[in-house]
Amino acid sequence: MVKDKITLKNETGLHARPASELAKLAGSFASTIKLYVNDKIIDAKSILAIMSAGIKYNTEIEIECDGEDEEKALSEIIKGFENNFEEEQK
Amino acid sequence: MLKGKGVSSGIGFGNIIVLKKVERKIEKKTIGNEQVESELERLHEALNQVIHETEKQMKNLSGTEADIMQAYLMIMQDPSLISETENAIKNSKYNAEYAVEVGFNSVIQIFENMDDEYMASRSRDILDIKDRVLGKLLKEETIDVSNLESNTIIVATELTTSETAKLDFKNVSGIITEVGGETSHTSIMARTHTIPAITKVEGATKIFKDGDSVAINGTTGEIYIDPTEEEKNKLLDLEKQLEEEKAELEKYKNTESMTKDGTKVKLYANIGLPADAEIAVNNTAEGVGLLRSEFLYMDSDTMPSEESQFEAYKQVAEIMKDKEAIIRTLDIGGDKELKYLKLEKEANPFLGYRAIRLCLDNPTIFKTQLRAILRASAFGKLAIMFPMISSIEELRSAKQVLEECKQELDNENILYDKDIQVGIMIEIPSAALIADKLAKECDFFSIGTNDLIQYTVAVERGNEKISKLYTKYHPAVIQLIKKAIDGAHSANIICGMCGEAAGDPTFIPLLVGLGLDEFSMNSNNILRARKTINNLDKEVCVKLSEEILQMGSAEEVEKRLKAFVNN
Repeated sequence: MVKDKITLKNETGLHARPASELAKLAGSFASTIKLYVNDKIIDAKSILAIMSAGIKYNTEIEIECDGEDEEKALSEIIKGFENNFEEEQK
Repeated sequence: MLKGKGVSSGIGFGNIIVLKKVERKIEKKTIGNEQVESELERLHEALNQVIHETEKQMKNLSGTEADIMQAYLMIMQDPSLISETENAIKNSKYNAEYAVEVGFNSVIQIFENMDDEYMASRSRDILDIKDRVLGKLLKEETIDVSNLESNTIIVATELTTSETAKLDFKNVSGIITEVGGETSHTSIMARTHTIPAITKVEGATKIFKDGDSVAINGTTGEIYIDPTEEEKNKLLDLEKQLEEEKAELEKYKNTESMTKDGTKVKLYANIGLPADAEIAVNNTAEGVGLLRSEFLYMDSDTMPSEESQFEAYKQVAEIMKDKEAIIRTLDIGGDKELKYLKLEKEANPFLGYRAIRLCLDNPTIFKTQLRAILRASAFGKLAIMFPMISSIEELRSAKQVLEECKQELDNENILYDKDIQVGIMIEIPSAALIADKLAKECDFFSIGTNDLIQYTVAVERGNEKISKLYTKYHPAVIQLIKKAIDGAHSANIICGMCGEAAGDPTFIPLLVGLGLDEFSMNSNNILRARKTINNLDKEVCVKLSEEILQMGSAEEVEKRLKAFVNN
């Protein structure tokens, strides 16, 4: 199991588009991926769970990946957050 | 002939298809253990059908629409939603239909209860998906709107987002709906795809039958059932004329907005919704001269949050890129009501508690909007415009509130355009008369002719008994327009106009002569205006305006201007 923390820099929070990109990305890995936000545990593969958590700008998020591809999953997801899921948009 | 409200111009002939909402009854049944497998299978089959359909629709979409569909797809395949629904079959032993109700409703409820207005409205998207899945489970005969006969005219109470998204646009020659306004989703899509559309046709889904032959005029809102030869020919002529005009205007997409003798002006678009910015760009608007921010407030059940406003303004900024987009702050009150803002009935709403007066009195409302605009200004070239300014004190107070918002954002380390331009509407005679003073304290003017005329000649716009007195040709109105333009120029700021007069080919020569810098109009009128301007001579227009300024009668002015265009 691997973990890391990031702070959400997407000014509008995790709205529909970034949430759907995050869920899509998370869904492409075999590992279980969880987000720990303000005492809530969120399944990163569920767009509804991400959206309904209402994560706002500047919130700290801990990402936890567990499974065979955990290292790659973690680094890709961190990268996604850093780019505000922009690249996936194209 | 029936009449509704034309929301997307053009002529359409075709046969009706009525999209009726099926009355649906979801039965709650308890199933035996042996049925669990087959119910799960039915659920997944229905889900897969909807997913498959959505994927097919996505191929034809791009931009925002594709993003929406992508999010839809993710929702349909969402593990938490699916497991909720599966559990309702496996554990609670419900039939698939009822399980869908239970599973989806639990998620819909979470979203409905969120305090974020944007998220709360996503519950409607999930509801929309639920409807489609249930439709598949119940094997409802749905009309496949993605595959229509040619020349179909759609009749519906209102089209849902998903219906509109999959609509087979090339075979739709018109849309008639019972509800919805100019800014409803359907109206915007119709305009984007240049399909004639008419709304507010009461009882349309009952009046029309499948296969009815109709002709519609999306400009006037007229609907002819079984049109006579004469009516058909009249409309065909009109259609031909519209098409010829359109083709002729195409070449003005590439010309500069400049008179024959080299005076450049700006041709901007008036828009009511972020998505309309795309139409503005398609029509080669050089900017947005007026974004009416009311849509955010009117389409909502609660006061729109800073986030949802920010999203909308950001969308406009991003579509317009380096082109300017002027956002008018909330212009509400008096005749325009908001459900969630209790305002007292007034004897003279147009002279009452509205627009900037209301905003200055309700700093929370005003600040929320200003902060949202400022934040969005980091993503493009936005400008702020205050409506209904009648005195210099109001301008100063409004700028004071804006400064406070900037200060707050600075403290929060949030980016915004520090040089954001701040302008005012000149729509009250008192403002026009002190234009030179006001010009020293703001960055631009935009003349709102509709209100300026009403306040100058003391004629309420909507009152038909006195509508004859309401005219932009009144010499007093023209004097005030001149005052505003001269006042702006004395302080070296730009003067624009965003009232209907700015797009009127009869009025444009006068405005050019008076020195107007920016003309903001409905996107569909931009090419026509550019054609008019390309054929004008500034010097001749100046002479014309001098002549007009000598006149004392509106009739004379009108006659002279019409004669000028016809020569």
